[in-house]
This record gives sequence, structure tokens and C-alpha cells, in this order.
Amino acid sequence: MKNATAFQEKTLTQIDTKWRFVHWRSAILYLLPSMILFSVFLFYPLGKTLYLSFFLTDQQGVANVFVGWENYQYILQAESFHKSIKATLLFVLYTVPTGILISLFLALLANEKLKGVGFFRTIYSSTMGVSVAASAVVWLFIFHPSMGILNQLIASVGGTSIDWLLHPDWALVSVAVTTIWMNIGFSFLIILGGLQNVDEHLYESAKISGAGYFYQLRRITIPMLSPTLFFVVTVSLINAFQTFGQVDILTQGGPSESTNLIVYSIYREAFVNYQFGTASAQSIFLFLCILIVTILQFKFGERKVHYQ
Amino acid sequence: MKKFLLILLTICFAMLITACSNDADGQEVDEESNESEETNETTETEEETTEEASDEKVEAVFWHAMSGGGQESIEAIVDNFNQSQNDYTIIPEFQGSYEEALTKYRSVGGTEDAPAIIQTFEVGTKYMIDSGFIEPVQSFIDEEGYDVSQLEENILNYYTVDDQLYSMPFNSSTPVMLYNKDAFKEAGLDPENPPQTFTEIKEAAEKLTVKDGDNTERYGFSLLNYGWFIEELIATQGGHFVNNDNGRSEAATEAVFNGEEGLRIFELMDEMNKAGTYGNFGSNWDDIRAAFQTENTAMYLDSSAGVASTIENAPFEVGVAYIPYSEEAERNGVIIGGASLWMSNGIDPEKQQAAWEFMKFLQSAESQAKWHIDTGYFAINPSAYEEDIVKERWKEFPQLKVTVDQLQETKPSYATQGALISVFPEARQQVVTAMENVLQGTDPKEALDKAAEETNRVIEQANRANQ
Repeated sequence: MKNATAFQEKTLTQIDTKWRFVHWRSAILYLLPSMILFSVFLFYPLGKTLYLSFFLTDQQGVANVFVGWENYQYILQAESFHKSIKATLLFVLYTVPTGILISLFLALLANEKLKGVGFFRTIYSSTMGVSVAASAVVWLFIFHPSMGILNQLIASVGGTSIDWLLHPDWALVSVAVTTIWMNIGFSFLIILGGLQNVDEHLYESAKISGAGYFYQLRRITIPMLSPTLFFVVTVSLINAFQTFGQVDILTQGGPSESTNLIVYSIYREAFVNYQFGTASAQSIFLFLCILIVTILQFKFGERKVHYQ
Repeated sequence: MKKFLLILLTICFAMLITACSNDADGQEVDEESNESEETNETTETEEETTEEASDEKVEAVFWHAMSGGGQESIEAIVDNFNQSQNDYTIIPEFQGSYEEALTKYRSVGGTEDAPAIIQTFEVGTKYMIDSGFIEPVQSFIDEEGYDVSQLEENILNYYTVDDQLYSMPFNSSTPVMLYNKDAFKEAGLDPENPPQTFTEIKEAAEKLTVKDGDNTERYGFSLLNYGWFIEELIATQGGHFVNNDNGRSEAATEAVFNGEEGLRIFELMDEMNKAGTYGNFGSNWDDIRAAFQTENTAMYLDSSAGVASTIENAPFEVGVAYIPYSEEAERNGVIIGGASLWMSNGIDPEKQQAAWEFMKFLQSAESQAKWHIDTGYFAINPSAYEEDIVKERWKEFPQLKVTVDQLQETKPSYATQGALISVFPEARQQVVTAMENVLQGTDPKEALDKAAEETNRVIEQANRANQ
């Protein structure tokens, strides 16, 4: 009897290990496509960027002089990179909160059950369908120094025309306005989706208890919406840090480098100046910044998120 | 409550309506570009049919960076070449801007896939020479005893390095000053006698500026925030951009554009900007041209390649003048801008021969005359100016001749030969930033010194990396 149990146990563990191996093998097989894709398109470039950031490159882009931390030292003390960091932080500050507030406002409006509200929902999310390049070109004409409609409007009401894209202080605001306008469609759509998922019964109970609109908004809508808002904030932040297209079309980083956001600065170092070393060092720096911000966000932001 | 909401919805909608009509605009732009793509496709299919018809012909690919009118003209010239003989077929391929074309060339240069000919802008000259991807055209010139003396000397000067002509000049332009003759009359200035020195520019700009309260309706003078103009204004005073004779006697090690010549330009900008007579229209060519067309600025510097279309489009009479110089210096003339054609090495010798034959064809008076009147670029071969079509065009637009005169009066020297450095794109960025800083009130000397310092750093780094 004793022997039989031991034998049984032994075969059981044997079968167990065998199955575990089979499971493991098929798990790897299932993961393989994504692992290959990630390695080719993410991990390899990441490793190569890290490698390049320790070198000076010649005109063919070949890394041939090892300089250790020199590229990092340079970017950390260079005035133009400080300007880039400052501009990027300001840009994030201008675009993320404003964009999300406007989208939330529009989504709340469009969430009401009214006749023809579908039309408004389509219009409000329409900016999602316009490419960055196309909308930036449109805004380029709106901001145009001599023919721009914005300045003509200001002049017609007797104001002083503004150098939208030509004054360092205004240029960043102009790029931010463009970006907010472009991002509204996406944020609006996600927030509206979140709003539609809120349980109707909560509102009914609140109404029975006599709660007003704003009380409902504060105590039901926002808490129930918090996972969606958290997602939108995270994505908008990362997008804002990685802004490129509208800068390239509207200002090319000028005037006086006031809109030289980090990604644009990386592009210029790498593909205009062929300084792949400096550009890689900047990329690694940006990667670390976004990583830290996202970790902080999960650590502190997520506490306030209410999952149903 | 519901009524209120509906009103709110409509208001928000109205605010977005502008955006929607803009969307429509955007689509129009897209459609237009689609159309041009279609035309590209049709030309491509045409090319393919010609390719099929000529199986035994040697095919050579020609990368160029000409869009719009330039592209049409260049394709017509290539067609003429392909039909003029039976041995070679040139296939023109548009590769985006000069920068984009050069970036692509970096990845195929030196291999068999490299195009036989690539058009590269003037500031890429040093890079191309150092790259080792190219065959100097001088070797074909020597082999065949081709006479280059028929070509414009001042243009050859730029592309001749160490007594070797590395690339075949093709589209060359210089800066000129354009001014609004009607505005000159209005301000009581002589439209036939435009200001020529920095002080004269400053005085004329004061008279030409029109103010309406706080708004300036018309500025006297403007410069595009683009490094090329500063290079030219330094050269015309006889100043150098980098040391070692502009990098021509030995590799440049230091930027010298912050010397007295550069400082004079920046001080002029600063003084005029503070006096409110200098209009800043950014760093986009189209913007400053639009400002001139809409009479927001009365004088500005432009490329000679843009003169013809500006004269055609302007609703007023346009004058063309030489670029201004400082009264403390002599007028030396201008550096040649634009691009030249480079021949790849490491490809089939037959393809190189095809490229060489095509380059010779391009230099003919006929091709050059067509090129000059289609685009406004210079004729590399001055005998093109004797062709009838050019004479007719000049009769119509006598201003075009000014651009040619300015080039031919240029005194050959290291200054007007232009600087030779491999990190030109970055140097230009630094100069542009300096211009923008001065317009925001930075001290001219400080702005220039900083730009020079940054440029020195990249020159030093490039020298270290390319040993």
C-alpha cells in the first residue's frame, strides 16, 4: 500500500513536470511573435541608442570615437538643451490639463440624451480624423504673420496684432493651442466612452435622494470616470513629451529655440547635424524622464483612481 | 435645462465650425497634392514605357531635389536628352528636399544601388568630397579634354577645390534685394536709385515705414532668418565665415563670422529693429515673400531663383538691386548658392559615362537657356544668355538681368568663393538663433559670439570624429 502511494506520487510528479514543460513550450510559442517584434523594433533600437550615446559619429554615422559620458555631460550643461527641457515642461503644462478639461466639458455635454446629439459627438471627435501634418498646415495659415486670419480679426476689432509664431513667448503658446485642438478628438472620445459606462442606477438613486447636477458630477461621475481619466492623462502626458510634427511644420524649433521641444531637438541633432551621439544621449534622457513621470503617476495618481 | 444644454452644444459647435471649414481646406491641400502625385505617376509610367522601349540602352538614375516648376523643367530637359541619342537613358527621380536627398544618399552611397547622379546643395560640398562616395568630374574632364572655360567662372570657383572640379554646377542662384517701387514713389524716394549701403538702407527704411497707431502696416526692410543671407552679407564686405581662408587653404578649425563684418550686419538689424523699421517674418521663405506681396515690407533679400515669380505675382512694380554692403568696406559681390551634380563611384563605368554625357548635355546653351527662363536659376553657360528665348524673357522682365550682372561683377576671392565646412547645417542653425536673439533684444556682439562658440564646438567634434 505504502509502495503504491509512493509509485503514484512519483508518476504524478513525472506527469506534472512533463506537462509543465509542454505548457512552458507552448507559452513561449505564443509569446514568440510579440517577443520578436519587440526585440526588433524596441529592444534592439534601445540598446543601439544607448551604445551610440557613448560615441562620436563620423559623417557616415559610424560610431568611431568612444567618449564615455561626454555626450551626457555636454547636454546637461548646454544652454540650448536646458531651453529644450524648459520648453517641453511648459508645453506639457499648457497642453495636458487644458486639453483634458476641454474634452471633459465637451464629453459631459455630448453625453446628455438629446435629439441629434450624435451629430455633435461626431463633430467633437472629428479632429481625430485629421493628420498632424494637415492640421498643423491649417494652423500655420491661421497664425500667418501677414495674411493670418487671427491677426486680421484682432486688427478688425482694433487690437494690436500678435507675432504668433515669431515671438518666443507666443510661439510656444501657439504650438500648444494647435496641439490642444488636435488632441481634443481623442480625449473626448475616450472620456465619452467612460461616461457611457457609468451605471445609470447610481444617478437614479442620487436623483431620488435629491442630489443636484454638480453634486452628482462631483460624487458620481468623476469618481466613476477616474480610471478613464487616469488613462487619458497618462497617454496625453506621454504624447506631449513626444510632440514633433506640429513643431516641425509650425516653427522648426524657433524663434530663439523657444519651441525646440526635446523630440525636435533629437531629430535635428541626428538627421540635420548628424551628431548621432548627442542625439542618442538626448533620447536616453527623454526615455528616463518619461519613465520617471509614468512611475510617479502610477504611484501617486492611481491611489485616487476608483475601480468598480 | 435641456434648452440650455442645446444652446451650449450649439455654441461649442459654432466654435468648432471654424475648425471644420479648416478641415475642408486641409482636404483641398491634400487633393492638390494628390493631383500632383497623379501627374508624377503619369510621368513615371511614361518613363517606364521609354525604359521598355530601350532595353539595350544604358540606364542611369538621376536623383534631384527640384519640386514644382523646377521638376517639370528638369524632366523636360532629361526627355530631350533621352531623345537626342540612342545609347543612354537617364531616369530622373525626385527625392525630396536637398537635406532629404542627402540623407538617403548617405545610406546607399558607395554601393551599386547608388544613383549615377545626385544633386546636392552647395553647403554639402565638403561633405561629398570627404565621403569617398563620389568620382570627381575632373577625371572625365581631363580624359576627354572637355573645355570648362565656356562655363561661368564665378560658379566654377565655388565647386573647384584644390584645383579640381568635383561636381558639375547645375542650378545656381545668388541673393538680390527686391523692393517695392510704388512704395518708394509714395515715400518720396527715387525708385530707380535704390539704397546700396547699410546707412542708406536704414535711412530709406525709416521713410518707407508706415504706422497706424501701434500696428506697423509696412516695414522698411526685412531679412529672412536664414543663415545664407548672413553669409552673403559678410562675403560682400570681403569677410570670411571660417578661418584658414574660409576653409579652402586648409580644413577650417574656427568660425570667424563674429568678426567686424558680421557684427556690422547684426548691429544694423538691431538698430533698425529698435527703431521699428525692421520687419521680422520668421524663417519661412513663403512667409517673407507673402509679406512683400501684401506690402507689409518694402525691401527684402531673396534668392535670384525667386525673382521672376515675385515680379509676376506682385500687384505693384518690383525693383531688383544688388545686395547692400557696409560703407566701411568695399563691395566684393556674392557667393554662389544653389546646387551641383555629383557622380557616384563604385557603379558600372557605363553608367558613369551616361552620367557624364548627360552633364555635358545639361551645360549646352540650349538646355541652360530653357532652365534659366523656366526657373530663374543662372545659366551655367553664359552663352545661353545669347539665346533668343532668354533675350525675349529679359525684355519682358529687365530686372532679371540685374541678378546676372551682380554675379558677373563679383571679384573672385576666398570671401566670395564661399566657406567650406562639413558642419554647415549646424552653423546655419546657430546663425539663425543669433538673428532671432538679436531681434528679441540680445546684444549683437553677445549673440554672434555665442553662435560662433557653438559652431566651434561642432567643428572640433567633427574633426575629432572624422580623423
